Amino acid sequence: MHIPDGYLSPATCGVMYGAAAPFWYVAATRVRKALTGRTVPVLALFAAFSFVLMMFNVPLPGGTTAHAVGGTLLAIVLGPWAAVIGISTVLGIQALFFGDGGLMTFGANCFNMAIVLPLVGYFIYKVLSSNSEATSTRRLVAAVLGSYVGIVAAAFFAGVELGIQPTLFHTAAGVPLYAPYGLSKALGAMVGGHLLVAGPVEALATGLVFAFLQRTHSSLVKADVPGKKEGKIWLLWGALGVVALATPIGLLASGTAWGEWGVDELKDLGLGFIPSGMQRFADWWPAPLPDYSLARMGAVIGYILSAFVGIALTALLLYLFGRMLTRKGKDLATEQSPSERDAPV
Amino acid sequence: MKSDDFLSKNISNITHLLESVMSAEDLCRAPGLLQGLDARVKVATVVLFIVVVGLARSLPILGGIFALILVFVVLSKIPLGIFLKRILIFIPIFTAVIAIPALFVTPGAPLVTAGSKVIITEQGARTAGLLVLRVTDSLSFGILLVLTTRWTDILAALRWFRVPSLFVAVLGMTYRYIFLLLHTANSMFLARRSRTLGTFSGRENRRWLGQALGTTMAKSQHLSEEVYLAMLSRGYRDEGLALNSFTLRRRDFLWAAFALATASMLLWSNWR
Amino acid sequence: MGSLRFGYSVNAIVEQLAVTTFNTGRIFEASGLDYDYPGNIAALRQISLTIGPGELVALLGANGSGKSTLLKLLDGLIFPSGGELLAFGKPLSEKALRDGPFVLEFRRKVGLVFQDPDVQLFSSTVWDEVIFGPLQLGVSKDEVVSRGSEALKLLNITHLRDRPPYRLSGGEKKKVALASVLSLHPQVLLLDEPTTGLDPWSQGNLIDFLIGWADGGKSLVFSTQDLDTAEELATRVIVLGTDHGVVADGKPEEFFSDPDFLLKTNLVHEHSHRHKELVHRHQHIHDHRH
Repeated sequence: MHIPDGYLSPATCGVMYGAAAPFWYVAATRVRKALTGRTVPVLALFAAFSFVLMMFNVPLPGGTTAHAVGGTLLAIVLGPWAAVIGISTVLGIQALFFGDGGLMTFGANCFNMAIVLPLVGYFIYKVLSSNSEATSTRRLVAAVLGSYVGIVAAAFFAGVELGIQPTLFHTAAGVPLYAPYGLSKALGAMVGGHLLVAGPVEALATGLVFAFLQRTHSSLVKADVPGKKEGKIWLLWGALGVVALATPIGLLASGTAWGEWGVDELKDLGLGFIPSGMQRFADWWPAPLPDYSLARMGAVIGYILSAFVGIALTALLLYLFGRMLTRKGKDLATEQSPSERDAPV
Repeated sequence: MKSDDFLSKNISNITHLLESVMSAEDLCRAPGLLQGLDARVKVATVVLFIVVVGLARSLPILGGIFALILVFVVLSKIPLGIFLKRILIFIPIFTAVIAIPALFVTPGAPLVTAGSKVIITEQGARTAGLLVLRVTDSLSFGILLVLTTRWTDILAALRWFRVPSLFVAVLGMTYRYIFLLLHTANSMFLARRSRTLGTFSGRENRRWLGQALGTTMAKSQHLSEEVYLAMLSRGYRDEGLALNSFTLRRRDFLWAAFALATASMLLWSNWR
Repeated sequence: MGSLRFGYSVNAIVEQLAVTTFNTGRIFEASGLDYDYPGNIAALRQISLTIGPGELVALLGANGSGKSTLLKLLDGLIFPSGGELLAFGKPLSEKALRDGPFVLEFRRKVGLVFQDPDVQLFSSTVWDEVIFGPLQLGVSKDEVVSRGSEALKLLNITHLRDRPPYRLSGGEKKKVALASVLSLHPQVLLLDEPTTGLDPWSQGNLIDFLIGWADGGKSLVFSTQDLDTAEELATRVIVLGTDHGVVADGKPEEFFSDPDFLLKTNLVHEHSHRHKELVHRHQHIHDHRH
């Protein structure tokens, strides 16, 4: 799912950096607080592990192999925010060193694989496993399903990012400048491909490792147990996720012709929950290149942009809200001090 | 999947990765054009060029940029073979899969016909061409940066650009420990292979993989604890402490000027 | 590592003088230390000992007797579940180590070289590693650079300066690990199995180096499985037994001439094999008299 440079326009890349930034900020602050002094070595070692995990060829039934991301697994063991930074780190190394994923598209790749994937996966895991035992089958199923949904959600966003390129960015003659396939094809390929192949691989890899950890290192499984108050935040996150997904799902569910979308059609698809102030914003958004049809581009960009900006703003608000909620609560850090964790020599 | 294939594939993956990193490090020390430039200037100009590539709209411009890149490669004493090999690993697999259908599927003016049937349209060719060239150019700039700059210098440059110290510190340490864990993983694969007399079933392989990964994760956890203690032992209190030893020289200014001039020219010809 | 010339900066020489003339106090005083691994597994029981300046102490004991744990306790990285530990006359507790100035002083004075060098080489290059300590201590930039160069020269590894850790051999890693601790200019060196894994030549070199380094009132506490190393380097021997306590504490000569004692504490192996009906027994102890 790593998107190389060249598939997304600079404008899209900029927006995706903007969408990722608040999550990075929240992650950095939260992780620092939870891990205190041990932030750097813990994140680094687990990020290194993620890298190794991503390199493994997982043997599939049927004789092929594929790669997993392991974002949900990381979120379960370290906590979701640590996973955000961990996977972002791995993506950074892959992009810089191995050309796996571009430098401009780094924001987008992080948003998909380092933010959406672990947060959605972790949320599903928490909801499904609730307070069951660390070694229970229920937790294993929750982990497997969580990782599956997480990666499909990530693929979904990737599909949207790729799919809107030809509509938004093409020459006067209609030649797509970046990723050439429209929303329907891109979503079909990404979501379809992950539902059928990459998703099961991710679920399989997560399940295998999680089962092993349950048997041998069950302490790793019960990481970062959030207090009751934090549980409420997760409901809010879930609601936010649904809202964010509703935007493009609304597009798909309409049943009108695939491919090019007219502005009026978009309006009809129930995007009215986006504040009307955003629409004014959309209308005066300057087209990046003079060839584009201003009105039409403006509206489409505006709607999609507003969805992302809305998510980012809501994330910030939720974070502040969460800070207020938990300030009076108990200390959430459940990590033991080094003296208790010292391994036998 | 046959045990042999599964294990061998993983082992060779890891070995190739390690080799590519080693060769990159050696090239960083060659006395070439780009190697001698300040890391911050390089990072900034590479980002600038990638953005220019992102904004380019015509095939000739993108082609010209690639020619320019090849000039840089030669001037930096990077063997052309090594450079092209790195690019080709990524371009065909991913991009061809994406771009080739576009050749045949995009409607428009005919370019290649078989009798009366239109096979490839002009628009299709342009679409595929733009994508492939754009990806190639962007990737090439990234590769140039990595092959001519020491990893520690890239990190130091990021720090200088105000990337939060937490991220830079984690990046550096992650990179360092990737090799240790890869080595551990590789040993596990080799040990497994040496015990493989017949073949293991796919199911056995999967179970073993889960164990191997789980063990590696537990090792990561153990290492993280010990590393923390080692850091504490030497007075660790601030992740952001580092020695900054950057100096700008005349050649850095010349390079920056050249990059800006070229970028402006390319962007201007874009919109002419 | 042949010569014993140490080109320390003026600062360090003054420090050394201070240590010798003014510090007649004890370095470590432990009374009744207990430590448990997670899961209530006993690691150390009722450890009491005193270590003073200028002592070269060998910690002996079979695997699992808690040597590494004791060293980590002495370095204030982990804390005992029972008993008390004083360092330089002040208690070494979790609370005490939250006090900024005290921590800085302590970390500067005491250095620990871990058994696994990969744990200690967490920086991107050798140079970054040796300057990590001085940087964290907050000395001036020039001082950081001079300490780094000095540490590299001391161990003859200046040529490894820009190497990343994964490109170092086992022996080179151990040298870098030692250099990265020496750049702190510590008074006390704690070493966890320093000669394990080194070839005999390197072992000898390291022992010579450490003897030279400690000259002038510095202290050394090192754990080892190797009786030869202990005999050549130590002025005092502490043996940890299988009951997790101290079973012996005294001069090396007292122990190494007592084969029964060595056997009892699992420090040597009694070799036994059969020649048909005849059982042949002998111990693996070398005569170190020279």
